[in-house]
Amino acid sequence: MNKYIETIGIEVHVELKTKTKIFSSSINGYGASANSLTNLVDLGYPGTLPTLNKEVVNLAIKAAKVLNCSIRREMYFDRKNYFYPDNPKNYQITQNRTPIGYDGYVEIEIDGKSKKIAIEEMHIEEDTCKSTHRKDVTLLDFNRAGVPLIEIVTKPCIESPEEAKLYIEKLKSLLLYADISDCKMEEGSMRCDANISLRKNIDDPFGTKVEIKNIGSINNVKLSLLKEAERQSILLDRGEKFSEETRRFDNKNNDTVLMRVKEMGNDYRYFPEPDIPKLVLTTEEIEEVIKTIPMLPDERRKIYREKGLNEINISKLIQNKKLSDYFNTLLDSNIDFVVASNLLLGDISKYLNEEEKNIEETSLTKERFISLVNKVSDKTLTSKNIKDILNELLENDASIDDIIKKAGIKNITDSNIIIDVVNKVIDNNLDSVKDYLNGHDRAIKYLMGQIMKETRGSVNPALANKTLIAELEKRK
Amino acid sequence: MTRYLDLTVKEINEKLKNKEIKVVDLIKESFERIEKNADLNAVITLNKEEAFKTAEELDKKEVSSLLFGMPIIIKDNINTKNLRTTAASKMLEEFMPLEDADVVKKVREANMVIVGKANMDEFAMGSSNQTSFFGPVKNPWDKTRVPGGSSGGCASIISSRSALFALGSDTGGSIRQPSSFCGIVGLKPTYGRVSRNGLIAFASSLDQIGPMTRNVYENALLLNEMVGHSSLDLTSVKQEKEDFTRFIGKDISGMRIAIPNFYVSKDIDKEIRDKLSNVIDILRDKGCTIDYVDIKYIDKCVLLYQIIAMGEASSNLARFDGVRYGYSYPNPESFDDLYLKTRKIGFGNEVKRRIMIGSYLLSGENAKIYYNKALQIRDDVRKNFLKIFEDYDLIIGPTTTTKAYPLGVDLDDAVKSFLDDILTIPVNMAGLPGMSLPIGFSSDHLPIGMQIIASPMAEAKIYQLGSFIEKTLNLDLNPKVGVYDE
Repeated sequence: MNKYIETIGIEVHVELKTKTKIFSSSINGYGASANSLTNLVDLGYPGTLPTLNKEVVNLAIKAAKVLNCSIRREMYFDRKNYFYPDNPKNYQITQNRTPIGYDGYVEIEIDGKSKKIAIEEMHIEEDTCKSTHRKDVTLLDFNRAGVPLIEIVTKPCIESPEEAKLYIEKLKSLLLYADISDCKMEEGSMRCDANISLRKNIDDPFGTKVEIKNIGSINNVKLSLLKEAERQSILLDRGEKFSEETRRFDNKNNDTVLMRVKEMGNDYRYFPEPDIPKLVLTTEEIEEVIKTIPMLPDERRKIYREKGLNEINISKLIQNKKLSDYFNTLLDSNIDFVVASNLLLGDISKYLNEEEKNIEETSLTKERFISLVNKVSDKTLTSKNIKDILNELLENDASIDDIIKKAGIKNITDSNIIIDVVNKVIDNNLDSVKDYLNGHDRAIKYLMGQIMKETRGSVNPALANKTLIAELEKRK
Repeated sequence: MTRYLDLTVKEINEKLKNKEIKVVDLIKESFERIEKNADLNAVITLNKEEAFKTAEELDKKEVSSLLFGMPIIIKDNINTKNLRTTAASKMLEEFMPLEDADVVKKVREANMVIVGKANMDEFAMGSSNQTSFFGPVKNPWDKTRVPGGSSGGCASIISSRSALFALGSDTGGSIRQPSSFCGIVGLKPTYGRVSRNGLIAFASSLDQIGPMTRNVYENALLLNEMVGHSSLDLTSVKQEKEDFTRFIGKDISGMRIAIPNFYVSKDIDKEIRDKLSNVIDILRDKGCTIDYVDIKYIDKCVLLYQIIAMGEASSNLARFDGVRYGYSYPNPESFDDLYLKTRKIGFGNEVKRRIMIGSYLLSGENAKIYYNKALQIRDDVRKNFLKIFEDYDLIIGPTTTTKAYPLGVDLDDAVKSFLDDILTIPVNMAGLPGMSLPIGFSSDHLPIGMQIIASPMAEAKIYQLGSFIEKTLNLDLNPKVGVYDE
């Protein structure tokens, strides 16, 4: 199996998150009743002409930027001509000669090393309508016709199914972060086709290429490529020749299935779209759009590492863009970021998930959160306290001090008092002390429980624990 | 029977204002004339019911402008809401648009009354109006002859005074050539002047809607109402509101006028060249400078046109597939069967021929060799024209190489039918405005036209020169058919 070199190229279609369609004023939406989001332009009625939605161009500029592409300043649209019932005009408006973005890359991390996946080009085009084939009829839903797409094409530079998977994951997180697409593979707003060929030696020409169309999930990207590589290597082992073909991944059989053998020279009769004049982008326009791109995951990761967050918290934050954005508003304040990240990803996240709320929908303003973090840092509040007053913190506007006062929290932080309590407990539980001195650490837990009981939970646990160990050590 | 439609628009307007006549009277006369001229076969669909309703409503209003209540006919490739629009094709025999074209909206806003949809070559492909699914249109000056095309129905209607105004479309000469053959005034505006939204596309980069009328002044009046930027047509041009009649009657002495040598070649009918010479003499006498110039590639424009127009047409007409609207072959065996049979039966021969050639021209490497190359040379043609306009106000020449020829003559001669447009096509290639106006008659009393071409957006200058020539020649351009037989 491993004696062949795998070469993979990936094409991804992504639906852009615009209000309206690319060439008409119809709403761009998913899940509406069939053919309710269409107009005469989408249906290709005689006499209709395309208009160009500026929002599409702006999102494409953003995409080109986050994929590290060069952005073209002067571009045309082209017609791709083919007859199919899902293609209302029987031509699709796309960018064949002058894709808006070219020569980019997406950086992935594989086996602890970073690798750049080269992007050949990315272009703007319109989606087709959705056709459903039943026994005797074909049903057409034109809601999708004219939904804006960008198609992102890699160079044949991906060397394993795992790399392919990592690339798609990274691509998705970039597009999500820049708010370009909602990237839902299950709803078809992100669609993936992969090409794979095998060859024996690095100096050999590329082997026969097989395309796997419309892969429905990120895991299946990897799985289908593994299966296809296996299928091809078996054929090659046997010395069998096979032709270029299009396959799809069948979930049930867990294998790729032949769709059609590729006919050579598929002729799309491309020519410049005469209804849309040359599109010219000025440097100012491009800069204006680029300014709106939020901080991307890689940069966030770098900053969070600098702030001392652990890798688990970093990953969790990056996966939750809303929390990460909130966290980023704190970056210039002088607080303990580890405490802040623990608070956000712990009790606060739990609350948000349970209540199905966003952090902005709570009363926890930046100022109140900073104050809260500081109360934890200076041991005024324990994690138990936080749990007790969480609803107050997130639902009321009162100051943190008022909430603490109202809840009657008075944590003992005075070390003299703590020492007194600790010694009182030690004196009353000499058996446990003996256990501790004999090396039974579990005695600590018991003694801590006694301290909490004595202080009715108002002593700072960390401080008490530290003091207890110090006092026990003295009795050695 | 009344003869109001023989009067000028100004005269009619006076009568409307004085309440001497009503809009309903005009519309009634228009329909009477169309019916008396039924043998011209110039109309595909009459709009009687709506027209009378509109007329009655207008009669309750104050006469607000010169075009108020005037009967207008619309070429049948321009969408009219709830009024059948066929493009003269079986494919759209029953097609009922759900929206007005931009230009139709403007015409309605100007309180004009749409009397019907004019016959034409199928999908505007042809120059003798013989490719229509609804049969050929006849020339009012000689009913055994063609009216020209593709806006032949419009030309025939205006010539016979059955309506006063018409909206035609011009891709390679489809307004100017029939205007010339029928003795009327027809202008193709600058590409982008008039919104194409609602025009059933033939060749998108060349198509332009324009006014067809009895005389120059009325042509300018109609253009006034038609123009303007549309947000629904990206190729429409942003423009200031202007009055296209503003130079009419202004002195033309000192005008510098160019004639391309290509436009006076021996291939052009001698009678036509003679009539043009007569005009040239008049203009020189009036103090105009007239020079003969060469314009590079102007002789190649028919070739460019064939490549660009057929290439674009093959794609524009792909949407007629029987799936969503229009003719649909019943009970097909498969999608391929539906496409093949719908298009085989729905399209006429000329349309199918052009689709096939266009598809070939865009296939594989051909797009680069032909279409893209043609676009490049077309840019050069435009530049070469613009260079002429650095030194000259206008370019003139004949509109056609021949006068109207007998019906049936070039029906099967594809090459000849394109040569009809050899003098009009360069104007479309360069995106310029061009107008045909009558300058006399042949020995057998068929109209002869000349063309006036201007730099982009300079239509007003065309009207200035055109109105001078029209006034000086003072021709009787009424063929007096139909109602005049009584």
